[in-house]
Parts: sequence; C-alpha cells; structure tokens
Amino acid sequence: MKLFKKKDASIITKPKKMKKKKKGSFKEISNRSGYKFFLPWMIGFLIFTAFPFIYTIYLSFNQVQLTVFGWQSTFNGIANYVSALLRNPDYTPALIQFILVEVVYVPVIVTVALILAILMNGDFKFRTVFRVIYFLPVIVISGTVMTQLMSSGNVQLGNVRQVFIFQILSSYSPALADIVVFLFNNFAIVLWFSGIPIVLFLNGLQKINTSLFEAAQIDGATPWQILWKITLPIIRPIILVSTIFTIVQLGMFPINPVYGMIQTAIFDTVAGLGVASAYAWIYSLTVIVILGIAFFLLKDHSKDYQYVDVVRLQDIKLQKMRKRVKRQQEWNEYFRKKGVKHGKN
Amino acid sequence: MEKTKRIWALVKRKLMGYNLSDGYLYKTAVYILLIAIAYVFLYPLLRMISYSFMSTKDIINPEIDWIPISPTLTNLKVAWTVMSMPWTLLNSLWFAGTLALAQTLISALTGYAFARYEFKFKGFWFGMVLMSFVIPIPVVLIPRWMMFVTTQNILDFKLIGTVIPQLMLAIAGQGVYSAILILIFYNFFKMIPIVLDEAAKIDGASNLQVFYHIILKMSVPTIITVFLFAFVWNYNETYVTGTFLRSALKVMPMQLGLFDSIFERMSAPIPNAPGGQFRLNESYKMAATLITMAPMMIMYFFVQKQFVEGIEKTGITGE
Repeated sequence: MKLFKKKDASIITKPKKMKKKKKGSFKEISNRSGYKFFLPWMIGFLIFTAFPFIYTIYLSFNQVQLTVFGWQSTFNGIANYVSALLRNPDYTPALIQFILVEVVYVPVIVTVALILAILMNGDFKFRTVFRVIYFLPVIVISGTVMTQLMSSGNVQLGNVRQVFIFQILSSYSPALADIVVFLFNNFAIVLWFSGIPIVLFLNGLQKINTSLFEAAQIDGATPWQILWKITLPIIRPIILVSTIFTIVQLGMFPINPVYGMIQTAIFDTVAGLGVASAYAWIYSLTVIVILGIAFFLLKDHSKDYQYVDVVRLQDIKLQKMRKRVKRQQEWNEYFRKKGVKHGKN
Repeated sequence: MEKTKRIWALVKRKLMGYNLSDGYLYKTAVYILLIAIAYVFLYPLLRMISYSFMSTKDIINPEIDWIPISPTLTNLKVAWTVMSMPWTLLNSLWFAGTLALAQTLISALTGYAFARYEFKFKGFWFGMVLMSFVIPIPVVLIPRWMMFVTTQNILDFKLIGTVIPQLMLAIAGQGVYSAILILIFYNFFKMIPIVLDEAAKIDGASNLQVFYHIILKMSVPTIITVFLFAFVWNYNETYVTGTFLRSALKVMPMQLGLFDSIFERMSAPIPNAPGGQFRLNESYKMAATLITMAPMMIMYFFVQKQFVEGIEKTGITGE
C-alpha cells in the first residue's frame, strides 16, 4: 500500500533484528499502546487537577505568602476556616446566596427545559427556529456579559411585586415571596442556562420507541398518563445528567458571588493564599454536597434493587443445587463403601 | 338537525383532535407558549440592541420603551473606541483560536484512547474525566497559579499575563469544558467500525497511522464541531483568563468587564465637555455588550447546525 510504504520497505531491505519479544497477545499489546494516546491527558490531569485538588486542602491549613524565596507556608491550624466563616462578614452570606441560587434555579431550569423539549418533540413546524433561539444563549453567555446585562436591569421582565397574586403570597409568607422575587428578578438569565438541557432532552425524547406510546394509546392511556408513566421514567437518566450539568454551570457565572470572592482572595497578598484555599475548599464541599443530594434524589433506585435481587436469587438457586449435588455424591460414596446398592436393603 | 350535529362533531374533532395532542387547540397553545418563552429568552438581547441605539434623550424620556425616537450610532462608536476595538477582537480571535486548537487535538487523542483500547483502570480514568468537569475550578486554580508563579520566578521568564499558562492547561487537557469535548470525540469514534482499523493494521499501519489516516480523516465534521465549541467557550471564558491573563492582553470579555473604569478614565480629561454628553449610561454599556457578543452571534447564525448537533452527538445523555 502506498500509505505505509516506509515500514514495508524497511522489512524487505533489512533483515529484522531480533527484538525483545513483546509479551501478551496481539490485542494486549495494542491495548497497551492505547496508553500512548491517553498519556498526555493523564499527566495533565495528575499535575493540573488531581494534585492541586489535594494540595488545596494542605494550603487551607497554612499561612501562605509569596516571599523572595518563593512560597512560604506556615501551619496555622483552622485559623483560615475561622476567618472565612466567622471573621469575614461577606463570605458566609455569599455562600448562603450560592446555595439559594442552586436550590431555587436548578429545578426551574431543568423543568423549563423538560417542558420545552416535550412541547417541541414530535411532528412540529419551525422546530429548528425555536431550537436555534433556545440554544443562542449558550453561544453568547459569558461572565462579563452577564454582569453588564444584570447591572443595567435588562434581565428583569417587569416588577413582580406589583402582580396581584404575588401580593397575596407576600402577605401569606414573606420568606416564600422573597424567593419568588429572587427568581423573577433574573428570570431571563436563569432561562439562558437551559440551552444545553433542552437539546439533551430533545435528543433523549426522540430516541424513545414510538411503539410504546402506541401500545399505551391502544390500552386507553391519556397523554397525561403517557407522560408520567412512560416518557418521564425513560428519560430519568437525562434528567440526572442535565441537573448535574446545570448545577456545575450555574456555579461558573457571576450569578454565584463566591467565585468572584475567591478570585479576589487569590490576589489578596496580605491575607495570603491560605484564606483563598479555605474559601475554595468550603465552596467545593458545598458543591459536592449539592451534587450528592441531586444524584441521590434522581438516581433510579428501583433498577438497583431489581438487579441485585435477580443476581442474588440466581446465586441462592445455584448454591442450593450445588449443595444437593454434593449431598448426593456423599450418599453415593457412603453406599459404595458399605457395598450397599441403591434401592436394595 | 343532523347536519348541525355533524358539523359540530367535525369542528370538535378538528379543535380537540383524536387524542388532544393533535388538535388545533393544543397546537395553538403550544405555539403561543413557545413564542412566549422565546421572547423571554431573547428579552435581554432585544433590550440590549434597543438600548445601544438610544441617544441620551431617549433614555431619560419615560415614554420610550423599545424604539428610540432619535436613534444614533454614537454609542456604538464610543464603545468601539473605548474597547480599543479592532485589536481587541483580533487578540480575542487568535487567543481563543490557539487554545481551541490545542484542546481539540488533545481531546481527539484522549477520546480515541477511550473509544478503541482496553487499558487497565479504564473505568476509573473515565470517571476521572467526568470528575474533571465536576470539580469546581477555584479549588484547582490556586495551586495552578502557584505553580506558574514559581515557574516564572525560576525560569525568569514572564508567564502570568501571557497565553502560555492557559495553553499549557489546554495541551494537558484541562482547559474549559475539556471533558465534554472528550465525550463528543469518544462517542463519535465509537461509531466508526473497528474493522477499518484492523484492515489498516494488517496492511502494516502503526497505531498513530491508523489514528491519523483512518480515524481523523473520517471525522472532519466532528473535529469542526469540537473546534467551534472550544472556540466559543474559550472566547467567553473570563474566570481562568481573569486570573492568568488579567489585563495584560486585551481580549473581548475581559475588556467588557473593565469597560466602566476605562470609560471613566477616557472621558475624564475632556475639558468643557457639554454636560452629560459623555457620561456613562446604559446605552454605552449595552453598545459595548453588543460589540462583545456580535462576533459569536454572527458565527452562530452561519454554523448553528454544528453546534446543536454537536451536543446531540455527545451522548452524555446516558448511554
């Protein structure tokens, strides 16, 4: 072949030297060479993500300063955490606001994305147009753009406080009313985060086998029942993926005040990097807890149990059978030794 | 009597459909809802465009809501100058382009390794790829920053304030959303029949040759999609850029972040400026935002298909 001439030529012209024979089958050898492709990422991950992730824990218990001799760190116990959570008047409120952002916005984003995807699914004109519009924010959104839009009040669709229903709600429970205001003040920007979830849901919905719906319709199910009994259970994994994606995404934009605080803390030469590390570490623990809760809530529990049950049942059956066979063999042995045959006395 | 009944039945069927979801009533409702939500999606953008053409008079005028009475281009011109424009855009383009190229290359390699080979701890490493997406960036940013500062001091070579730190991160596969890019490649490579690889190997191709001649040449559309995504995400990235690049190199979103202060500084020394002519207001800010967004929006309207289908191809939908 033309493409691989070089190698072929070398084989023909030179007698092959006796190489150290590679161990393993052809497949094993080729699989080992898979590391060649994977190695750059692996090294990068170890240096730039895995190591820093652990090193930040160490840093957060130290006073870290940049001196003429490089980075100097001295152990100072939990002082950084104390100063982050108790001394700094801004950090704890910012963290609480971040949690509020996640708790209020994520369900709204995922639900809106799901509803839009269900509406756009099926035989539907102008689907592309709507999809282009809903995906547009993913392309244009960036931290500073968002800050500018929010600071100029262009994300506010109108004053919620003037709506009649809201006033009823407000007199009923002010706390709930605050959350509603919090949601509607940034409503347009909040929706911007549903761009990718919509596409994920649409993709998932189109993969569902339509004969399932037909079967349900023949059995007299209403569209509402079909939605709850067929569609939602099938796309449950996608709901989980979208939720995790949204949680991660929401953290990355200035709607989350903690991010900015950590960045300012990095450049704060007086307090040092120890405090910044403590900020970052508390923050990521929070994110991990939120992710864990989301994962636990949306994981498909029934599947696990079924799987375990089937395996265990098979196991129990097998063990019983083995026991029976073993007992039979023992009896046979016993009878042979005694010289007694089966069935006869 | 019979006739009216029949007509009524027909109308009812047309409106309600056979099972609600194929009647006109349902469809109209769906369209109204979709258009309403599309309006909410576009609201900030429309507002931004409207504002960026308003003159100072129009902004003060409470009667004007959307369409300016005396539209001007002054805002755009001023914002163009304040953003020191053509150069900022060029900087942004090559900056994002370089990072995106590096990211595309490394994601292709990693995706290929996962799609084709069975190495030890593959499941574990795949989990780590997903983890690298989930881990919050601030946690890993501090030691990364320390590393680059230390390297800078040892080598006596300027790193902070150049493209190098981010380029190194991109080459190491730890750039913006690298995990998603890897997933896109992984899912696409898995769809290419392995028989092609085997045929080439029988003809004496090495692994790298298979990768280049068979895999890469077959997946040009995917490569373009991944590159576009990486480009957009690098263009819009402000957090890591704000840490490593700061304001040493003028790139678009960072410049937008500094817009207010630069505007104040530039408009201050104008002596005897007529009152309020160059005072910072919404219209200047929105004009600057429009300028920042415009390149990506123009690009999007040409290649929107690649973007949407690219995300569909990721298969992060759980198969």
